[in-house]
Amino acid sequence: MEEIIRTEDLCAGYEGSVVLKELNFIINKGEITVILGKSGCGKSTILKTIIGLIPPISGDIYFYKKKMDYLSESSVNNLYRRIGVLFQNNALLNSLNLYDNVSIPIKMHYPELQKEIEKEMVFSTLSQVGLLKSYNKFPSQLSGGMRKRAALARSMILDPDIIFCDEPTTGLDPITAHGLDELMLNLKNIFGITLVVVTHELRSIEKISDKVIVLKDGAVHFSGKYDKLFTLNDSFINKFFLKE
Amino acid sequence: MTEEKKDILLPEKFTIENVPFLLNKIKELKKDVNIEIDFENVERFDSSAIAFLNHLKTNYENISFKNITSEFNKILGMFHTNEDIEHDLQIITPRKRFEHIANRFLKLRSNFKKYILLLSDEIYYTILYIFNRKGVYPGEISNQMYDIGFKSSPILCLISFLVGVTISITTLDQLNNFGADIYIADIVGFGMIRELIPLMTGIILAGKIGASITAEISSMKVLEEVDAIKTMGLVPEQFLMVPRLIAITLAVPLLIAIADVIGILGGVIIAKLFSGIQPSAFFREMLVTVDLKDFFIGLGKTMVFGWTVVITAGYKGFSVEKGAVEIGNATTDSVVLSISLIIVLDCLFALLLY
Ligand SMILES: Nc1ncnc2c1ncn2[C@@H]1O[C@H](COP(=O)(O)OP(=O)(O)OP(=O)(O)O)[C@@H](O)[C@H]1O
Ligand SMILES: [Mg+2]
Repeated sequence: MEEIIRTEDLCAGYEGSVVLKELNFIINKGEITVILGKSGCGKSTILKTIIGLIPPISGDIYFYKKKMDYLSESSVNNLYRRIGVLFQNNALLNSLNLYDNVSIPIKMHYPELQKEIEKEMVFSTLSQVGLLKSYNKFPSQLSGGMRKRAALARSMILDPDIIFCDEPTTGLDPITAHGLDELMLNLKNIFGITLVVVTHELRSIEKISDKVIVLKDGAVHFSGKYDKLFTLNDSFINKFFLKE
Repeated sequence: MTEEKKDILLPEKFTIENVPFLLNKIKELKKDVNIEIDFENVERFDSSAIAFLNHLKTNYENISFKNITSEFNKILGMFHTNEDIEHDLQIITPRKRFEHIANRFLKLRSNFKKYILLLSDEIYYTILYIFNRKGVYPGEISNQMYDIGFKSSPILCLISFLVGVTISITTLDQLNNFGADIYIADIVGFGMIRELIPLMTGIILAGKIGASITAEISSMKVLEEVDAIKTMGLVPEQFLMVPRLIAITLAVPLLIAIADVIGILGGVIIAKLFSGIQPSAFFREMLVTVDLKDFFIGLGKTMVFGWTVVITAGYKGFSVEKGAVEIGNATTDSVVLSISLIIVLDCLFALLLY
């Protein structure tokens, strides 16, 4: 299987505080990788490090087997063209309505695309996340869960190679959450998009994950197929999945 | 008439890079041409391709598909939105611009009402506080006095000194022509104390204090801090504004006293340097026309300007709803509105006290 992201002895954190040490894991193309761990263990930090928002303290990250150089503009631009990110706090632009928020990537990267196609794309994406009716609302007029879904719509509009989702279904009702899980599976199966998802929702982990990375005490505690998780008889993992 | 037929062979990479070209090609063909779209070569596609095909399906009748796999067909159906939606998605049309401007005028009245309501609220809460000492965070008033009074004093000193200097140089030149140099003392004393110092102080307060109050309150509003204040059973208009109003009331007399002294000092220095007028002569002459009443008039005016700045800043800050962009706008608006109000009020004072 083709690897899309690999970390080598990656050490991540903030100025003066190391959050995660010696991370070695691989994210395969076309798979859904779920990152698990207790609140505050550094899940968001890993994502932010991979996408270059915070510089790695030490170690390397490889994107398509090429070492990422987060100081080189071309390297970072290449990365940003091929990824989509759903932030934990949505990060929609407050001055733009939903339609305009979702169409930003198209407008900025493919200005020559005709408006009618853009419209079809945006509306199709919005209807996939169930927000068609709210297309002209502003972020401040949306609920928390609606903002999440809008942010997901924006991250997937250009069919990136890989989408990073930080807690996409947290705070959503089970039905909407289920719909989003379906959507992520569709993205994987139809467009071959790779997903890296941080989530605490046990149901959704079971449903979508191909691979699971469990973080504990600033390091990778487990990394492998979902089914293998329970053959280990590990007490932390069992606790996490409420099996103990 | 025989019907023409035209084949369009889709490329291997049926993706967003190629879609604009394909759509243009189809648009160029005449309406009565039958178009057949051939999927034979397609290896990769993306969601823009699906959007493109769905657009063709709904908007063109003369188009058919060839070599399309059943899987692809299923996907097409899955992603199409049947619901009817308005087309009009232009971000800002000229019409909308005009509507926007018209609405702003209509909103003026309700804004004025809101301003007056806030003003009366604040008067009520401040008087309430003076009597029962509740609803204000302990220590907040002295904090605010430091921020408002101390931090704006250096710039105020500098500006009053320079205004004093400038005024005396300019008038001295004219007075010289009449041999009436000594009257510089009356002009500087009277003009500075009653008019220029209050006005300059008001404007400095607007720029320095008003802007920061608006920025602070509006960002608290955006970050839902104001909501949090409410849910703790407090009144934001009281909790945030009363300390600032009281602080400015206590700070203004001090600021004015300092500014008056330094401004007149500027005049004295110029009078001595340019016309050889002794400081003692300067003050003796000045006190003939200027008395304590003028100082209090200047102080009273500045006080009103200060309250105007704080109320305006609060009004603009609390009016922010949406987000980060609005904070910047509210802050500039607050400064502009405060300065305009100060000048209007100054003019009214001049008429009243004439
Ligand atoms: N900007 C920052 N500067 C310094 N430390 C930070 C910063 N942001 C987060 N941290 C710290 O890094 C650690 C990991 O935070 P992170 O946001 O990655 O947690 P998380 O696993 O995503 O938690 P949650 O599930 O609650 O979102 C925490 O201890 C946090 O205090
Ligand atoms: Mg997090």
